[in-house]
Amino acid sequence: MGAVEGRPLEERELVRRARRGDEHAFEELVRIHQETAFRVAYLIAGSEAEDAVQEGVLKAWRALRRFRPEAPFRPWLLRIVANEARNRRRSMGRRAALALRAEREDVSGGAAPSPETTVVAAEERTRLLEALDALPDDSRLALACRYLLELDEAETAAALGVRRGTVKSRVSRALDRLRESYD
Amino acid sequence: MTELERELRALRVDWPRTPDVASRLELRPRRRLLVPALVVAAIVAVAAAFAVPQSRSAILRLFHLPGVTVERVGTLPAAEERPLAAGLGDKIDDARARALLGGPFLPAAHGTLYKRDGIVSTLLRGPVLLSEFGAPEFLKKFATSNVEWVEVAPNVQGLWIAGAPHVVFFPGASPRLAGNVLVFATGTRTFRLEGHGLTRDDALATARELLGTSAG
Repeated sequence: MGAVEGRPLEERELVRRARRGDEHAFEELVRIHQETAFRVAYLIAGSEAEDAVQEGVLKAWRALRRFRPEAPFRPWLLRIVANEARNRRRSMGRRAALALRAEREDVSGGAAPSPETTVVAAEERTRLLEALDALPDDSRLALACRYLLELDEAETAAALGVRRGTVKSRVSRALDRLRESYD
Repeated sequence: MTELERELRALRVDWPRTPDVASRLELRPRRRLLVPALVVAAIVAVAAAFAVPQSRSAILRLFHLPGVTVERVGTLPAAEERPLAAGLGDKIDDARARALLGGPFLPAAHGTLYKRDGIVSTLLRGPVLLSEFGAPEFLKKFATSNVEWVEVAPNVQGLWIAGAPHVVFFPGASPRLAGNVLVFATGTRTFRLEGHGLTRDDALATARELLGTSAG
């Protein structure tokens, strides 16, 4: 899997160039990570996510000289964007999070399950998402980062604005809460 | 991994479309946030509360357009550098823009429209930020060392602000550093064009196209 193996090296090169002031290299870095950054911001700040990402990215550009080039770029960017999103949520003075909706199931092609099975599965997914949405913000964000966005511990810590060592316990507590309301 | 964790990981969420932030970045050489420039620009809803810049020095000169006041000052208030596209507000459709502006947004062929209070904005190529609002609803303030009256069209005067960054206050948004700006007003509408690379000639050409659309 050359593309997978090559990506970190390519990213390091982009970071190196961006730190020297190469705007195109920085734009490419943003392009690679903007979807994850936007979704993290959306989980925190809802409709303010787009502005939060734009401002966070600009702050990252200004702070790039302080970034350690040997460190992974995505957690660093996510921390800045998540902070920006939290600031915006605070200034909004209300819960900004919007309800997550399940993607519509595409049952075309392949060995499609029976209609009854599909309906039951869709209902279960909707119920699970509703239970997730009903959790306190910190728990919801921890689980969404870890399982919906599949972020690793360092990235989840960055999104939550906590130390890496705190992620496990927070995710564990959030899972317990979810289990209580979902089961 | 527990069954619940597996179920969570298998969820497929209908996320909103990710905006292409990378393509819209306006990156310039990194620099200090506060620059010793001499312009303060403000667009303020009359009814809206806003923070008057406390560090503003003595006003050196005033310029007026319908719905607009330009103040020339000696020192800029604190402001952030932000992308043009940041803080424009909610996306709206043409009908909503028409209702807010009392007529169609100009030009008729335009990109996504955004609304913050009564200001309707879109991004033109460049990028150039075009904002429009009904003059009676707004008071607009500037202060600068480099403001010049320009004739946009017969009986349409404008103000061209360039040469140094200035600070703009939009309703409901924190102040930000702004690039070159042309602002002008017709009887019922005030237009504002802003771009870091915007030249006087290009701004006037765009303004005249807008007015031509309006006349047509």
